[in-house]
Amino acid sequence: MTDETPAREAGPGGAAGASRRALLVAAGAALPALLTGCKGVQALGTPPPPPRDIRILRVAITAERLMLARYTTAITQLTAAPASVLAAVRAVQAEHAAHLSQLRSRLIESAVSPAPSASRPPVVAQGGSVASVLAALAQAEQAASDRLLGELPGLPPALAQLFASVAASEATHVPFLTQAEAAAG
Amino acid sequence: MTAGQAAAITALQEALAAEQAACYGYGVVGAYLPAGSAEQATAVTDWVAHMRARDQLTALISGRGGQPVAAAVAYQLPFPVTSGGTAQLLAATMEDAVARAYLTLVALPETGLRSLGAQQVRAAALRAESWRGTTEAFPGLPASSLRS
Repeated sequence: MTDETPAREAGPGGAAGASRRALLVAAGAALPALLTGCKGVQALGTPPPPPRDIRILRVAITAERLMLARYTTAITQLTAAPASVLAAVRAVQAEHAAHLSQLRSRLIESAVSPAPSASRPPVVAQGGSVASVLAALAQAEQAASDRLLGELPGLPPALAQLFASVAASEATHVPFLTQAEAAAG
Repeated sequence: MTAGQAAAITALQEALAAEQAACYGYGVVGAYLPAGSAEQATAVTDWVAHMRARDQLTALISGRGGQPVAAAVAYQLPFPVTSGGTAQLLAATMEDAVARAYLTLVALPETGLRSLGAQQVRAAALRAESWRGTTEAFPGLPASSLRS
């Protein structure tokens, strides 16, 4: 691994994170080295398998995309729901959009990104009651939060902090959605 | 003591200081909530959670050869608490501070401390949600660490 990464000036983290640095935006200073790194990889044709951090980050990005799709579907199912419930669901959806944006900002994706078209639409209860739609969302939130916490060991510090914060946000959506439904009656 | 061990103790001390402030603050919160109300019962539950966390952090610091920071006799509140409403706002504000402090633990490489920090960020965010009734996209994360 180390011989394919020629010495670059100044990047933080020393030799250990060289391949990680090629894809993860660990710090602003790493950016120039990172861009040249990507070009070099593409010129060689076959990129090396992505390091573990990158794989985990990509999975988290895909999970956020699916979560956003869940909310888009849920909103179409909640047209008859009280306005306060819809407002709550939209507020949570906006937070997921922010999660996705921040997660994506930690990844420099190559021009050919495989993920989005391959993602299938999420399964949401068909034409369910307001309660069942919200319960399905809450269940997905709890699972997403737990999954992110499980990925923490070994991640770079800044990425671990982002994952922990997103996991906390997702956990708070569970009582928030429940309360929105209770308040609407 | 290695740099890593020192960093762990510094992060634990920061979390301990936040927990001590929360223990003090919840005493104020409880005093302004109606006796026997559901809100007061929640405040007591949260207060106990913070005291337990404080004791756990104290033990962790001592176990690593550190000297746990002492709690202040009194704390300057971020704003005057004069009612049940401002008391609830204080509780939420303290939980934000606790979440920020525990996120420092998450930056440590040690799996156990990172996990403890993440669990506590989540617990603090849940308590903040219960007081405020709203959620946040990035509990504990300073705006400066978000990328535009």
